[in-house]
Amino acid sequence: MNTPSDAAVVWNALRSIPDPEFGVNIVDLGLIYSVECHDGDIAVTMTLTTESCPSGGWIYEGAKRALAGLPGAKNIEVAMVFDPPWTPAMLSEEANRQLGRIA
Amino acid sequence: MMSGSWLAAQGRLPLAFMSLGLAWLVIATGLLAVEPRLLALPHTHPRVIALTHAWVLGVFVTVACGAVYQLAPVALGTTLASERHGWWHFGLHAAGVPGMVFSFWRWDLVLLAHCGFAVGVGVLLFSVNTWRTVRQSGRDGTVARSLTLAAGWLLATVVAGLVLAANRYWNFLPIDPVALLRAHAHLGLVGFFVTLLQGVGFQLVPMFTLGEVRDWRLPNIGLWLSQAGLVGLMPGLAWHLGPLALLGALAITTGMICSAAGVRRALATRRKRALDPGTRSFLRGGLGACASGLAGLALVAPGLPWGSAPGGFNAMVYAVLVVAGGLLPCVAGMMCKIVPFLTWMRAYGPRVGRGPTPSASALTHPGIERWGLGLQFAAVAPLLFGVWRLNESWLLAGAWMLAAGTLLFVADMLAVLKHLWPAFGPTPARATASVL
Repeated sequence: MNTPSDAAVVWNALRSIPDPEFGVNIVDLGLIYSVECHDGDIAVTMTLTTESCPSGGWIYEGAKRALAGLPGAKNIEVAMVFDPPWTPAMLSEEANRQLGRIA
Repeated sequence: MMSGSWLAAQGRLPLAFMSLGLAWLVIATGLLAVEPRLLALPHTHPRVIALTHAWVLGVFVTVACGAVYQLAPVALGTTLASERHGWWHFGLHAAGVPGMVFSFWRWDLVLLAHCGFAVGVGVLLFSVNTWRTVRQSGRDGTVARSLTLAAGWLLATVVAGLVLAANRYWNFLPIDPVALLRAHAHLGLVGFFVTLLQGVGFQLVPMFTLGEVRDWRLPNIGLWLSQAGLVGLMPGLAWHLGPLALLGALAITTGMICSAAGVRRALATRRKRALDPGTRSFLRGGLGACASGLAGLALVAPGLPWGSAPGGFNAMVYAVLVVAGGLLPCVAGMMCKIVPFLTWMRAYGPRVGRGPTPSASALTHPGIERWGLGLQFAAVAPLLFGVWRLNESWLLAGAWMLAAGTLLFVADMLAVLKHLWPAFGPTPARATASVL
């Protein structure tokens, strides 16, 4: 089993959080700006599609909950930032595919 | 971020309005299906006014107010100024509108005054709440302005309606009641609905399609043209000032076309290519509203053979186009987006991060939704033909087609709302999110 010191595990955990409107996970939606892991301490910087995203509260709480559930996780810090603001250009190739943007 | 308790309470008020709007949709459609011949009567007939209020006040205003309670805080980045006043509005609206429809049907002006006053107080609370929400947000722009203006026009519509009813009783104003009725109707149609759609449309369409409004000039021009037009149309209709009414109608229709062009530009930037049935319906309704504007323009144009005589292009044809071709697809489309989202917020929001959760769109049945909305829209043609030619068979066909569409639509919405009760919720197998 990987520990949270492995950033890939954290990214995967965040992939379990879907955006309710589009069904695309928050990583592919481009909402996660950075992930840092050190000895079980996890620091994530994330954003929302808009500052007043109505499901933003649940996404934020869900992200914290998903990370807290990782084995070996100690301190979880999720920072919400709006600079730089999210734009559709931040969608991953997979998200674009899911949304029918690319074949 | 918001606290868990605030999150848990979120969406209750708009969902209550949406559910009430759904109930009114069943009542209003049922009324039309049972009495399709009402559409062959003149638009000033008390039972036609009752039917109109069941649709406009019962269905459209109820859903639109619920949408504003949800969207205004989202669009403005704030919270609703007073949820308590929102619930008072809900209670007054839920109690007052059935009484209004009943009193129009029975032509009981005293009961109408009491019920209309209750609805008016509710609308006053709604308007003040909307203005306070806009003010506390500190935001400006097309969406904020449209919310402020729409709330004001809705209040003006209710006041004009109360004055109209009081004048029928006491006859204190030397104004043609039919002309005043038309002015009252357009205050609501253009002032509230068109103004609201000209703002909220630029919030909803980009939000649901991952698009952007890169240039706000067209939305701004559209909004101000319709406002200027309404200021001209009102006295033009109320005092039979033909050229003023024509200029007003021209400005409103041009404004609506500008807004439609702005939405088209926003759509061109979208990342989500395939449009879902709700968004398609909303856009169809927008086009229907533009077509209604052109029909209204023809009605006020001087020297044209059409007027208000039955059996030709008249006010009832225009009204059916506005209600069934413009407002219904817009409002039903909004419901297809807002109801699943609010249901998701309450039923699945607390489960995010704990396990798989479905997306909001997975709560609907797209096939049923598509057929429901499609039948509702297809009903416009036989209804229009029936009203135009005063043909009962076409009216019956249109009313039953509309009823079939509404039945499917309501079934889909009820299936969504069922998720609010955990015992009826879906199994995790329906979830669409990827899980670890």
